[in-house]
Amino acid sequence: MLLVAARNLDQQKDMVNALNVFPVPDGDTGTNMSLTLNAAVKELERAENNDVNRLTTLLARGSLMGARGNSGVILSQFFRGFSDGLAQVKAEATGEDVARAFTSASNTTYRAVMKPVEGTMLTVARVAAESAEEAAQEGKDAAGVIKAALLGAQQSLADTPNILPVLKEAGVVDAGGQGLVCIFEGFWAGLTTSPEEMEAILAEQQVPSEGPVDVARLETEVLVNKYCTEFIILGEGIDPERIRKKLDPLGDSMIVVGDDHVTKVHIHTDHPGEVLQFCGELGNLTEIAIDNMMLQNQEFSNHENHRLDYTTDNVVGFPQPEPSAPPKPVGLVAVVAGDGLAEIFRSLGVDQVVTGGQTMNPSTEDLVTAVNSVNAESVIILPNNKNVIFAAQQVKELVDKKVGVVPTRSAPQGISALMFFVEGDSLEENVAAMEDSLGEVKTGEVTYAVRSTVAGDLQIEERDIIGLAEGKIAIVGSTPDQVAFDLVKTMVDEDSTVISVYYGADQSAEAAEELGTTLQEEYPDCEVEVYSGGQPLYYYIVSVE
Amino acid sequence: MGKIHVVTDSGSDLALEVKERLGIHVVPLTVQFGSEIFKDGVEISVADFYAKLKTESEMPSTCQPSPADFVAMYEKIAEPGDTIISVHLSSKMSGTYQSAVLASTMLDSSIKVITVDSKAASMGLGLVAVTAAEGVQAGKDLDEILSDVQHVIDHLQVYFVVDTLEFLKKNGRIALAQALVGTMLSIKPILTLVDGEVAPFEKIRGKAKALKRVRELILEFQARSPEKTIRAALSHATAPEEAEQVIDALKLVLPVGGEVVVGEIGPTIGVHTGPGVVALFLCAV
Repeated sequence: MLLVAARNLDQQKDMVNALNVFPVPDGDTGTNMSLTLNAAVKELERAENNDVNRLTTLLARGSLMGARGNSGVILSQFFRGFSDGLAQVKAEATGEDVARAFTSASNTTYRAVMKPVEGTMLTVARVAAESAEEAAQEGKDAAGVIKAALLGAQQSLADTPNILPVLKEAGVVDAGGQGLVCIFEGFWAGLTTSPEEMEAILAEQQVPSEGPVDVARLETEVLVNKYCTEFIILGEGIDPERIRKKLDPLGDSMIVVGDDHVTKVHIHTDHPGEVLQFCGELGNLTEIAIDNMMLQNQEFSNHENHRLDYTTDNVVGFPQPEPSAPPKPVGLVAVVAGDGLAEIFRSLGVDQVVTGGQTMNPSTEDLVTAVNSVNAESVIILPNNKNVIFAAQQVKELVDKKVGVVPTRSAPQGISALMFFVEGDSLEENVAAMEDSLGEVKTGEVTYAVRSTVAGDLQIEERDIIGLAEGKIAIVGSTPDQVAFDLVKTMVDEDSTVISVYYGADQSAEAAEELGTTLQEEYPDCEVEVYSGGQPLYYYIVSVE
Repeated sequence: MGKIHVVTDSGSDLALEVKERLGIHVVPLTVQFGSEIFKDGVEISVADFYAKLKTESEMPSTCQPSPADFVAMYEKIAEPGDTIISVHLSSKMSGTYQSAVLASTMLDSSIKVITVDSKAASMGLGLVAVTAAEGVQAGKDLDEILSDVQHVIDHLQVYFVVDTLEFLKKNGRIALAQALVGTMLSIKPILTLVDGEVAPFEKIRGKAKALKRVRELILEFQARSPEKTIRAALSHATAPEEAEQVIDALKLVLPVGGEVVVGEIGPTIGVHTGPGVVALFLCAV
């Protein structure tokens, strides 16, 4: 017997695409669930091995980041619970493991919603879990348990109109529940179908003509809280409970979920501003989407195309917003640490600055988000750090825009590269010109030693001030200013024309200006420029060109 | 057949010596500092202008000559039966050309005025006027002169470096170069003229590097048409030493005996570009 995920890893794509076969009904529930699942699948495709724990963690994280709408967020919580339930499993999942995962998933979905409503996908998830537990107690294996869960879910789905009058009136079953059943069917299909059969199924890609209806949509006729407000808070240790309490009076359909780093908030409210303000104080907000559901409802029939347009992650929500300006041919994303440097990069035409640097490399996902948020047909990324270059290159695979990476290893290299960016030239031309520029500038950094060490002839003690030229320790000293001065000395030659000093967050403007004056006196033929970089940990970043 | 006269405006930055030698007539624009109004080159000198630019807090502006100014000039220099070639600042930068066109219609039909939009400024315009005047001195006929003039206009390559974009920006002469404005770093862009308007050419950090790049551009220009003769002009605003660096590089590509027409950027152009400008004008003939 093979465990679900591991068994399917070889045909992972097939299995997951089988989930995609599930109907995309004419409400946004199906779209949202589909998008959420797609995000999860995207994450899964990055998995390097068959480890169950790893796979389910990816599934949970991917779906959370990609979660859209009510049903999408609940689905993401389902996966998260599922993932938690399998946390202890090493190689093969037993029937009991799978049942535990279903139960955990059901519990998590209930917790995610402030006021659980029966007759919805919550019920379907719960009944599926109950059926799974029963099957496990009967000694069924993982496949058997999944089959039981599917059957339970199907029955429960059929029963939803009996629980929720609005469904009965409309003569439909719950859309979210239907989505969940479809996903379980995908599980089952993935488990029992040979790769050849799977291909045949995928080739058909049928979409049932009768779609279920979205409860939320039926309710919009009496909708008071008309703005569907959704966003992600990036930040450590955010307490979802605190957010729930605060936001509860502001609206309904609230969902606040998250892990240690990411919190997703969804609420229908008439006061989106207040919601954003409160949450903005807790961490960095991203993927903010506010939709007017009244207008959505009215325009519903006009958006046939929307549901398939999940290729760009920046378009969150519904209806699809028109970009205010036509997209640029080539946009720019740069990774920079420090307010001052961020401002400098923006002033040079960078569309999106991602915070990051030596000790806080942004994730590929951060870069993906930034790239997608740029209103451009293609995007050039300036990693500005050797530890970010690889992550930046990953972005190429994860977005539908054309992405080019100029492997800049420092902020000065990034600035130098920007000098060669020509609006109107193609991505390829610009990347080539910018890459050629990388040798035009020498970078020096002044920081402190975090431990004692020996570098070449240099004996370095902890807390010594060190100067790095092109990433290699060149100078050791006791004050940042002296080290910066000595460092510049190793960098300047007769062809040098400009010396730039970017001082860090912990360095005073006066000290930096003084350093600039000293350097100008020492090198009268060069132009010395001093800017506030605001970067952490590095007293100075200097460049010579 | 009467004589041919060449008229230009003070946006041409021609040195007095060149104007006198070639008999080029200049109609001045006016420069305004607050309520004070000066006729360029007549009521204010180049040195006085840059000195005033430093002390005045208010940004000066320029005003095109009136059609009447042109009529006065045309009637002063021409006899019935004469022809005037009147070459002026790019019509996209100044209303001077328009004023000359109006003036040409106000004249007695016995004087023929041919107005020419140089699509350039400073010594670019200067080079066009010089080409016309040289043709007159060489005894070329009108069609030949106009054909030479058009060749220069069509083939002129301009590179200029400014100390600051503030002047171009405040006077609205940098629509195409907006991308360069507002940057926090002190970038010394190399600018150019495209179809009579200022446009960014390259972004460079530091003036020394920018001037070095301009010197490279001279060699690149020559490499593009090695069989042709290069005509070169250069103008600068209070930057004689930097201008000299570029002139030295120009001497390497000019034919033996070929000269660089050098001019100081006067108030008319200086109002829009500020001090520290070095501008290079190249044409392969």
